[in-house]
Amino acid sequence: MDNARSSPSLWKDAWRRLSRNRLAMLGLCVLTVMVSLALLTPWIAPYSYSAQDLDLGATPPSGAHWLGTDAFGRDLLTLILYGSRVSLAVGFLATAVALTIGVLWGTVSGYAGGRTDAVMMRTVDILYALPFTIFIILLMVIFGRNMFLLFMAIGAVEWLTMARIVRGQVLGIRRQEYIEAAIVMGLPRSRIMYRHVLPNVLGVIIIYTTLTIPNVILLESFLSFLGLGIQPPQSSWGLLISYGVETMEEYPWLLFFPAATLSLTLFSLNFLGDGLRDALDPRAATD
Amino acid sequence: MSDSNHKIVNRLLTALFVLLASACSLNYESNVESGNRDQILHLGNGDEPQELDPHITTGIPEFHIQHALFEGLVAKHPKTMAIEPGVAETWEVSEDLKRYTLHLRHDARWSNGDPIKAGDFVYSWKRALTPALGNLYAYMFYPIQNAQEYFEGKLDDFNLVGVHAPDEYTLVVDLKAPTPYFLQLLDHHSYFPVHPPTIEKFGAFGERGTRWTRPGNFIGNGPFTLKEWKLNRILIVEKSPTYWDAARVRLKEIHFYPIPNGSTEERMFRAGQLHITERVPLEKINVYKRENPAALSISPYLGTYFYRFNTTHKPLDDKRIRMALALSINREQIVERVTKGGQIPAYNFTPPDTNGYTPRARISYDIDRARALLAEAGYPEGRDFPALELIYNTDEGHRSVAIALQEMWKQALNINIRLSNNDWKVYLDRESHLDYELSRAGWIGDYLDPTNFLDLFVTNGGNNRTGWSNQRYDELLNQAGMTGDQTARYELLQEAEAILMEEVPVAPVYTYTRVRLIDPTVRGWEDNILDQHPYKYVHLEAAE
Amino acid sequence: MPAFILKRLLQALPVLLIVITASFFMVRLAPGDPFSQERALPVEVMKGLRTYYKLDQPLVTQYIEYLKNIAQGDFGPSFKYSGRTVTEIIGAGLPVTFELGAYALLIALLVGISSGVIASLRPNTWQDYVPMSLAMIGICLPSYVLGPLLVLIVGIWLEWLPVSGWGYIPGDKILPSVTMGFVYAAYISRLARGGMLEILSQDFIRTARAKGVSESMIVLRHALRGGMQPVISFMGPALAGLLGGSFVVETIFQIPGLGRYYVQAAFNRDYTLILGMTIFFAVLIVVFNLLADIVAAWMNPRLRSGKSAGG
Repeated sequence: MDNARSSPSLWKDAWRRLSRNRLAMLGLCVLTVMVSLALLTPWIAPYSYSAQDLDLGATPPSGAHWLGTDAFGRDLLTLILYGSRVSLAVGFLATAVALTIGVLWGTVSGYAGGRTDAVMMRTVDILYALPFTIFIILLMVIFGRNMFLLFMAIGAVEWLTMARIVRGQVLGIRRQEYIEAAIVMGLPRSRIMYRHVLPNVLGVIIIYTTLTIPNVILLESFLSFLGLGIQPPQSSWGLLISYGVETMEEYPWLLFFPAATLSLTLFSLNFLGDGLRDALDPRAATD
Repeated sequence: MSDSNHKIVNRLLTALFVLLASACSLNYESNVESGNRDQILHLGNGDEPQELDPHITTGIPEFHIQHALFEGLVAKHPKTMAIEPGVAETWEVSEDLKRYTLHLRHDARWSNGDPIKAGDFVYSWKRALTPALGNLYAYMFYPIQNAQEYFEGKLDDFNLVGVHAPDEYTLVVDLKAPTPYFLQLLDHHSYFPVHPPTIEKFGAFGERGTRWTRPGNFIGNGPFTLKEWKLNRILIVEKSPTYWDAARVRLKEIHFYPIPNGSTEERMFRAGQLHITERVPLEKINVYKRENPAALSISPYLGTYFYRFNTTHKPLDDKRIRMALALSINREQIVERVTKGGQIPAYNFTPPDTNGYTPRARISYDIDRARALLAEAGYPEGRDFPALELIYNTDEGHRSVAIALQEMWKQALNINIRLSNNDWKVYLDRESHLDYELSRAGWIGDYLDPTNFLDLFVTNGGNNRTGWSNQRYDELLNQAGMTGDQTARYELLQEAEAILMEEVPVAPVYTYTRVRLIDPTVRGWEDNILDQHPYKYVHLEAAE
Repeated sequence: MPAFILKRLLQALPVLLIVITASFFMVRLAPGDPFSQERALPVEVMKGLRTYYKLDQPLVTQYIEYLKNIAQGDFGPSFKYSGRTVTEIIGAGLPVTFELGAYALLIALLVGISSGVIASLRPNTWQDYVPMSLAMIGICLPSYVLGPLLVLIVGIWLEWLPVSGWGYIPGDKILPSVTMGFVYAAYISRLARGGMLEILSQDFIRTARAKGVSESMIVLRHALRGGMQPVISFMGPALAGLLGGSFVVETIFQIPGLGRYYVQAAFNRDYTLILGMTIFFAVLIVVFNLLADIVAAWMNPRLRSGKSAGG
């Protein structure tokens, strides 16, 4: 039973199924392009991110500025490109932090049950309740202001719901016959979790991850209002969107393009996520 | 399956449509319409008032309300800000300008009908000077003989403080030194009287946070009195029948709305919910200029927007560097393109025409000289210049100015400035502990006198916050404080200002303006540089 | 079940105590002074205020004092709003916040679950793509974008609904409730679809289908129970968030609720108000996470046995 699904063929099968899913492949392509653009930004950005033209001010999209300019006469395309570096990095890294902690915490808590579960979940309750703004301000005082801290701070709040959701799923699966059977057979606990429990909660994990990424990207802008993370003239999607709202009647493009970029990323992520879920579905594998 | 889905979707859509259609047919009267009919002014008022006690608060929202609820010994003309009689009908000033004898009008009444006595003012000012109360504006009393000593606990007997009531309707005030602006202080909220029996009824003499300012408990002496106060929602004042000048008051009520967000406030104005807003969001100013200029009101405001330099920090301890930074600010461009609210570029610290004083010394916009100074100080073409950090508190306007300045300095001097956004309290903490390099700052005058601005930068002054110290400057301000003659006094201050503009511990950027949206039906709301609008002159007139 | 609830309520006590203790010291250690302002304070005033609010005493003494006071239900006066107690401030905002949260919750559950379930029944058809695309837009449009956008379109351009307020003008409760509910609806809808898909592919559903049980029966009797598990896990913290108020929605619509104090009190370093709000929120978290777990156990009997077997 265990050897029948050895890793290499599992992943190969999954990839084969994924590559047949057109929407998922489209999502993957868009994301690859996004990440490449972000990486290549310093070389391909049409303008310097700090270059201003105060006399020009905000202008709608034109030949010189494809996506228009903001109130400082800065090129919006350049800002979005540079912003993607920050937002994608924060989105993926902070989510990875949240994902790792959340999934581990939730799985262990849900699988172990009893007192361990109680202590772990009450810890989650405590962390939910602590005043977040004060927590961030304190973090900055203790550790200074840097990007690493930004990931930490975001990861610190975002893993909590993930842990709750994963625990809920694991609790349900733990009582199923094949898990009980595996326990009776004396398989090591870590193997049961990795081989049998995790694959079954993967779908929900993937969905919640795709929900977390945009949330994290937007949370970053709140943190930069507190002084953590990026500062002008650097920009991020979250910041561009929150400033875009203020001027949406006067300069709608300043809201539209950053929001559209974020939406495009999210749609791609979702298609990819759904595709991955289908591809990795253990039940599909036995069909 | 899909049939039932269709049904559900259809039903949902129908419900939504009915909901919207019924909402659409709701035809409610806007605040402005009903207000115009009933003489009720609807006013956006910034933040929720912290408190209404005139001896505790310091904020502008509270001040707006207190001006409706209380009246000082004197008042101000709504347009010229010239001193007018308030509770005091007449007054005399002694030859040496150090004794003021004020005669209270006999028809002045508290809102419960009690007559206002000179003793009430002695009581109130003693209360304002009680340290336990924590009056942040206690220093406003320092021109009065022994007031500072009493407040600092060096003196226990309030009888030694220069305020006495020889009879029920006479108040005598003795000053430490001639203070040409003293009458203006009497219109400041810290000098407002409180009703002694009410204070005593709800707490001890010097007790903070008692319930005397709640509706029902409150007794004041202004043209309006407190009717309703719902936290974070609304504060309503209504016309006071006992006010001595009640015949002049035409508004029946004023509704103050605490609206912390400018965009929300602007939308409420557009929907006819407000007559007057507290401010206008930056990006909306040009829209109103273009589409509804009649509603946009821009008036000069007694305040300076500036940047502080930490003069204890290398390389800002070198005045050539500070000067280079100050010289390369294109102020015209900042007010035209960034702040957009008609602000006036500031080339000196005290705003122009502050009670007849306009500073002569000025710095300029001169990039060539700035570059030369930077080179002279050891950084030709900005080479090896350390990346300085500029701190500001979270605010759209501060951010915008900082972004523009950052690029101006980069272009003019080839130096890099890092911007650092801070939450308000951290920003204050860093600035007052000199834990910064450059910092944005602003100063709003409380009264019309240049010392209100120049006093900031005396050595170790609490509001100096630059580490800058100049002996001659201190002497000049000290001398000015003892001089009664305005011309001679202003000459001393001109010299001080010249020192300030040569040493540049601060770089002035612009003189503030007050930008508001005002419905055209509002009458008697005059522009003035103190942004004070005595409500007894205001009324509403619906357009024909 | 009663034993389980009792045990969880007992666990809540140490949780609250730890939250209070940690918050108390965090708040005191954070830089910035509750009384600092643009203008420098005279030393005497500062000293007077610190004495008045007992900030001059050792931190531990203050902490013990604070615990004693809250044990008697006294959360102290707010530092910023000097004439008001924390209890009074929270009490004033609570009804408004709960009402807004309840409407938003209703919208979120109705829209979220129905669209998620419909999507899961017809995966990869337009009945899936339309609601899921809407949900994704909902996730990309945070309330600080959606709120102003709705106000602009519905309130100012179409003049259908009031732009602000809460119970002042008929209809002014609609836009804030929709704004607040929509984002949660988007989350719920995604989670519901995911959970349902998971269940619908399981053997017992296939067996039921093969036996010819009607589709609606399958959904209502079998699939919903397990399929809603992720939504329920999410609802604990989400409920606390909804009923704890929203800074953004309250600010945009000028609603006198509690949400703005979370952020504002922290910015003001209003020590007592921050702690009061933290305790209030902690209680919400404990209660709603417990409720979520009870509902989960009720929906899925397997969990219940897991619980009692574990401890």
